Amino acid sequence: MENENQGKPKSSKAAFLILLSAILLLVAFPFFRPPLFFLSLLISIFLFISLTESWNLLGGYTGYISLGHVVFFSIGAYTTAVCMNCFGHSPFLTAILGGAVAGGVAAIVGFPVLRLKGAYFSISSLLLAVIAQLIFLNWEFVGGSVGLWYKLMPVGIEANRVIFYEVMLGLALIITFAVRYVEKSKFGAGLITIREDEEVAKTIGINTAMLKLKAFILGSFFAGVVGGVYGYYLSFIHPDITFNVNTSLLILLMAFFGGCTTWMGPLLGAVVLSLANQLIVTFIGAEISRVLYGLILILVIIFMPNGMIEYLKAGKRVRKVQQGWKHA
Amino acid sequence: MRERDSDRPMDIHYLLESVISGVLLGGIYALLSVGFGLTWGTMQVLNISHAVFAVLGAYLAYWSFVKGGIDPLLSIPAVAFLLFIIGGAAYRLVIRPVTKARDVLMGSMVATFGLTIVVENIMSGFWHPDPRLLKPSYTGTSLFIGEIVISKGPLIGFALAFVAIALLYLFLHRTFTGKAVQATWQNPMGAVLVGINRDRVSLITFALSIASAGVAGVGMGLIYSFYPSVQNDWTLYVFLLTIVGGVGSIIGTALTGLLIGLIIGVSAAFLPFIWVNILLFLLLLIILLFKPEGIFGV
Repeated sequence: MENENQGKPKSSKAAFLILLSAILLLVAFPFFRPPLFFLSLLISIFLFISLTESWNLLGGYTGYISLGHVVFFSIGAYTTAVCMNCFGHSPFLTAILGGAVAGGVAAIVGFPVLRLKGAYFSISSLLLAVIAQLIFLNWEFVGGSVGLWYKLMPVGIEANRVIFYEVMLGLALIITFAVRYVEKSKFGAGLITIREDEEVAKTIGINTAMLKLKAFILGSFFAGVVGGVYGYYLSFIHPDITFNVNTSLLILLMAFFGGCTTWMGPLLGAVVLSLANQLIVTFIGAEISRVLYGLILILVIIFMPNGMIEYLKAGKRVRKVQQGWKHA
Repeated sequence: MRERDSDRPMDIHYLLESVISGVLLGGIYALLSVGFGLTWGTMQVLNISHAVFAVLGAYLAYWSFVKGGIDPLLSIPAVAFLLFIIGGAAYRLVIRPVTKARDVLMGSMVATFGLTIVVENIMSGFWHPDPRLLKPSYTGTSLFIGEIVISKGPLIGFALAFVAIALLYLFLHRTFTGKAVQATWQNPMGAVLVGINRDRVSLITFALSIASAGVAGVGMGLIYSFYPSVQNDWTLYVFLLTIVGGVGSIIGTALTGLLIGLIIGVSAAFLPFIWVNILLFLLLLIILLFKPEGIFGV
């Protein structure tokens, strides 16, 4: 980061100002009294930014594609719901606890599962999601197949939305910046080495097992916190909603679409695809929107397997090289 | 075990019935899985969309039965042929571009994930997501052997699976093309060196595997009700069989199917159904962790 600042101070200062004003604008947005629909839409965008960024810690940087991210999201949601129903604590306070529980489960599960590579890891993470869903469906204490209700916040619907908007925005920002920080750190460099070649990473003395586990736990912690808050926003949680395979799929798709090698990719993917999805569902229909989603996934993996960001960057690099050849 | 949950009379006949129906079911799961193992072994393609084509096969048989009155067993050749064509097209459009990637297994997994969503939602758009069941006259009836009752649907499905797997086996071991497929499986580079057109072999393998999935879908449709999103459950069973058995051979997958069927049968006699699933997937997870090459794997 320091090198970047020294290299081109002006442009990074401008970028910082643009970023700051964009954030301030987003924070102030609800106070312009927009229609509630926009707030809900933005809340769901923030949700997917948070989930995709937290998934990206493991899935993007190390290439260990998890299809079980919803498990940790759900654990967070169930933790805050149980805390609220049994002890009366507000989910805003217990969301951290939800994240901690999710992280703890990730530590226990990740230790054996992260030894598997590639498709084997993906399949076993999918199995984890299925098993966890079956267990929650049959666990009477957490509502089983009936689901769990949260007590509603004692405020009007508008104030309710505004509060959740600000909290989800805060979470999305914190998680995005945390992931960016990790990416630029030594920890992130280690993770990226694992993606490039895990055996080489091991031989140069990187404790790959530990790094993967750390990334998995951190990502799961974030997912748990987000789940805790988002469950409260939904006010009703059920294993079929929170453990939905399609959510895992969306996370994967958004990360791949934007490009999972940088922190910007998931951000871009989540924003673009959430908006596109909303538009298509509203104007054409849910089934067609999902067909389009599938087509996008196929096209993305065939034509830009590293995502949009890398695709754009690579185009620039190729042009530079071509120009270089001409001059030489 | 959790005996307190079963308030049913626990006698030897009941256990036998449970085991027999489990094994019959396992045979159909085996047919559902052989094609998946075949593409994985030969092409290094992990085809998540395998089960969705099985559902498509079930729907094709269903509609020709409901609209045209054609018995599902008679429409099977047509279903298999149609799915062979569809499989070939899917190979050309989706699989072949992906097989050029660095990590074929991951790339194909994500791409076929996309294919699954497309096919599943086209199906639920056309035919609505309500459950359907293939009900020709003979499926509702049962066979009585002494005091043991076996319903005919699974029996016919099992016979169907047996014949289809035997045909696949003969194709792979007796025909020239089949031997080329096997050679590619055993050593892709060597196969190319002795002049086998790898692209053509891959096309045939993939189309054949989709066709076998379609036939298995008809067999499943005779026993269980199906709807577009049921493919999620079927996919899990395909994973279960392929990984427990190991990406080895057709016979290995068939044996694993029977073994899993036996486990389902025995545990269903003692446990509530939901715990059977949890048990099976835990078993799969354990095998993944400790013996990822599978029981019959090479």
